[in-house]
Order: sequence, then C-alpha cells, then structure tokens
Amino acid sequence: MNLYRIYGITLRYLYLLRHSYDRVTDTFYWVVMDIILWGFTSLFFRQAFTGDPNLSANLIGGLILWYVVWRTQYEISVNLLEEVWNKNLINIFVSPITFSEWIAAFMISGVIKVIFMLVVASLTAYFLYGVNFLAYGKYLYVFIPLLMMSGWTVGFFISSFLLRFGTKLQTLAWSFPYLVNPFSAIFYPLSILPLIAQNIAHFVPTSYVFESARSFINTGVVDPIMLWKSLGLNILYLVIAMIFMKLSFRKVLEKGLVKLY
Amino acid sequence: MSALQVQNLTKKFKKFVAVDDISFDLKEGEILGLLGPNGAGKTTTIQMLLGALTPTSGTVSYFGKDLAKHRTEILEKVNFSSTYTNLPWLLTVRENLTYTAFLYDIHDRKDKIDEMIMQFRLKKLENQILNDLSAGQLTRVNLAKAFINNPQVLLLDEPTASLDPETAHFVREYILSQRSKNNISIIFTSHNMFEVEEICDRVLIIKEGKILADDIPTNLAKTIKSTTVSFYFEEENKELFIDYCVEKNILHNLTRNKIAVQIPEEDIPKFLGGMMQRNIHFLEISIDKPTLQDYFIQMAQTGQETHDKFETMI
Repeated sequence: MNLYRIYGITLRYLYLLRHSYDRVTDTFYWVVMDIILWGFTSLFFRQAFTGDPNLSANLIGGLILWYVVWRTQYEISVNLLEEVWNKNLINIFVSPITFSEWIAAFMISGVIKVIFMLVVASLTAYFLYGVNFLAYGKYLYVFIPLLMMSGWTVGFFISSFLLRFGTKLQTLAWSFPYLVNPFSAIFYPLSILPLIAQNIAHFVPTSYVFESARSFINTGVVDPIMLWKSLGLNILYLVIAMIFMKLSFRKVLEKGLVKLY
Repeated sequence: MSALQVQNLTKKFKKFVAVDDISFDLKEGEILGLLGPNGAGKTTTIQMLLGALTPTSGTVSYFGKDLAKHRTEILEKVNFSSTYTNLPWLLTVRENLTYTAFLYDIHDRKDKIDEMIMQFRLKKLENQILNDLSAGQLTRVNLAKAFINNPQVLLLDEPTASLDPETAHFVREYILSQRSKNNISIIFTSHNMFEVEEICDRVLIIKEGKILADDIPTNLAKTIKSTTVSFYFEEENKELFIDYCVEKNILHNLTRNKIAVQIPEEDIPKFLGGMMQRNIHFLEISIDKPTLQDYFIQMAQTGQETHDKFETMI
C-alpha cells in the first residue's frame, strides 16, 4: 500500500467538499435538521405520554449513531458514483493506484467526514436539547468503529451493485441503508419488533450496538457479549462485502470501465 | 527493447469480436498513429493497453514486463489523455493536478505542478474549477495531467478533437518537443489525417478489430494510385472537357467552374496531351497527390479489398 496514493484520493474528496454544496449539505445539513426534528418530537412525547427523562438522549443519541452508519456507507457509494458521473474512473485506474488503495481512501474519507459530522451533530444536540452525546463515554470508542464497519459493509455492497449494473441502480446509494434501518432498532427496543423481524435483527450487527447504547443510557450497563456479536458479524459481512466488491470490479474490467458511464 | 509490445491481443464481448488477434510494438521515442473508422476497435485497444479492460486473450508488455503482472510499476511510467474522459469538474485546475501528482507518487509535486501550469498556459486558470473552462482549456488541463509524471509511454486518444487550429497546433508542437526532449513513446489516435501525417512516424490502420496496415504515412498514401487533377475552365471549354472525360470513361466531379478528375499519376501527361489535341484550354490546373486521408477513405469504403491490395504489395 502506498500512502501517497491513498492520500491523493482522500484529498480529491476533501477538495470536493470545499466546492460542492451538495456534499456540504450531505455532511452537515441533514443531520442538523434531523436532530431538530427528533429533538422536538422527543420533547413532545416526553410531555404528552411518558415523562421518560432519557427519551431525548435515546432518540437523539440513536439518530447521531445512525448517521455514523449512513455517512460511512454514503462516502463509499457516492464517491464511486461521483467518479462515474465525472467520467473520471478511467483516469484513476490507469494510474498506479491499486484497488486496495482506492478502497482504503474511501474508508479514510468516510472516517474524516464522520468526525466532521459528529462534531456538528454533538454541538447541535447539546445546545438545542441539552443532550450530551459524549455521555456514552468510553463506549463511543466501541460503538463508532462497529457502526462504521457496518457502514463500510453496506457501502461496499451498494458499490458492487453499482459496478455491475451502472447508474441505473444509483438510487441504492440513498435507499439501501434504510433496508437495514428497521432491523437496527435505532429508536425503539428490539422487543417491539414482531418475532420474525427480531430473528432477522439478530443477524444485523447494528442492532446490538443500538441496544447497547440504549441500555447504557437507561441503566449505565452494557453487555459485552452484545458488542462481541456485533464485531463478529461485522467482520464476517465486511470480508464478504469486500470480496463481492473485488469480484464486481473484476467483472467491470471485463466489460470496460467506460461502459459504466 | 520496445517500449510497448502487444501480442495476439483479442477482445470479445459475447459473440462480438471487438479486437481480433492484433500484434504490434511501439519503439522507444516513436509516435505511432492508431487509425480506423468509428467502431474499429481503437478505444477498446487503448483501454486494454492501459489495463482498464481485461483482454480475452493475448498480452500487453511495457519495457519487457507483462502489464497484468507488473501493473503498478508499469503505470507509474505511463499516462493517458482522452477527449472522451473528464477530470473532476468541481475541482480547480491546481487541485486536479495536485491529487493526480499524489497518485503518481511525484515527490517534487509543487515544482512539477507549477511547471505543468506554465507549460500548458494555465496560470490564469489555476484556481478555476474545470466546470468553468472551455473545451480547449480542458484539453490543456488533460494534457498537463498526462505529462505530470514524465511518462515514458503516453497514450493520447484524439487529444486535438474540438480544438481551435491554434491550440491544436500548440498541442502538436508540445508533443513533438517532448518526444525529442525526453524520448517519449506515444500512441496517438485522431480522425485528422493531416495531423497524423505531420506527427506520426508510423501508422496502424485498424478496421473491424483487425490491423489492415502497418506502415509510414507516406507509404500508405502511395498505395493510392489515382491522383486528383483539378482544372478551371471558361464556359466554352467546360463542355468540351466533359465530353472528353466521357469519351475516355473518366469520372469527373464538377463544382462551379472547377472540374476534378481522378487519374493515375503516370497517365497525366497522356491525358493532358489528349486535351491539347482537342484544343481544350484551361485557365488553371492543380495536381494533388494522394494523402493519408485518401488512403483512409478508400480503406473505409473498400475494407478488405484495400487490405488484400496492401498484402499483395508487401
């Protein structure tokens, strides 16, 4: 792996953030608007129905953690689309960069954007609703990497489909994460789901993280087994997703990179 | 050693054979034209030469090393520019060159980028995003990107298409100067035959995925036996001349007061003698020897016949 080349691609996406209002909006605007929306919703629910003092923390904390998944997957799938829209994929792959370096750059770019997003989202949550995202404490060092792994997995699966079928499936970049969303139990406990959905959720690594996050806010206790299960599933899915992506890339090289345009 | 060697390269898309068992080499410091009608297989070939398309069979080797096995090492010394691919349009000229310089692991990046910006007359545009540039300016940025790693082999896919004559001239001059200065080997595709004659040492003609001819441009032009002779007449001589052409069974092309005929070069004196005997006087005459463009048109129209003629000649 050549760090210069990885840095080059990462830099390309950071430059884009500087010039593209779309990307600025994607990185900051939606998360802030969602926090405002869910913050008021939680205040209303608390006053009208439950009186649960942790409701805002659970809803807004869950939302911000969900954005970690969404942001990391988006960074992979939309960066790939960006190259296809720009007809630039061929310029990248006739350079000495390797497939692994390209992937690594996507992942690093995702980490940087997640940090940007977390700073803005945490400050918004704190100043508008008094919700301290940092209250998860040391568990943030576990929750965030696990959610990023899930985001990368989703991103690689989407990108594999984009490589195989081109831009006619580009809507997957925005819609596919929401297939995982209901089974992740972001805003509600897993026990709310029907039994069949609960069984599916056991195979969704994000569900263990959100259950743990809620457990920590409500009781101050996290079951480490849940986090190990999430890690195990994440590793398994990430390896499968990367192999699928590699095979899809090989497939597109048989058709020609320009065929993607 | 050849800079590039292509052996039995074939690309099939299901039953369609886009490139059919072609072999050629590119010598160090040589500019090789890759010509052919649209859909001939040029772009497919170039993509395979760059590793952007996997061949069905055959090998591509640079500097004696197989591209499939030494991709990264080879691509550090190769670059590419095409009118049909873009660079990221929301990045500025300097940003595009900067990230590209990292991709090619160039250590004196700032100096190299400054040099490219100066050489391609991009100083005033360096902080503009590509979306705001004209076609000619974009081509210059593309070429700056292509030369940024001091390539030993360069593949240029119609680099002067859609350029104004002055910019196209600048690009040709730059390519030639870089060849003589750095001994770069270049594969060059263009539909401008005059340009190809001007800068290419050798030309490969591809049609339907096969190499029809591999020779220097002047030799290819010489395979065309007929020469275009154009006459300008006053009105009374025009009719006499047309009758003469009909009598001799020579096809003629009339435009205003000019009549052009296609006749073999060696028959011109006899043809003119016949005109004198018939008292056909002309105001002006011009004789245009066959060019690569004539060869190309004939090749595109007749295809296999041209190939057979060429094979017989060699």
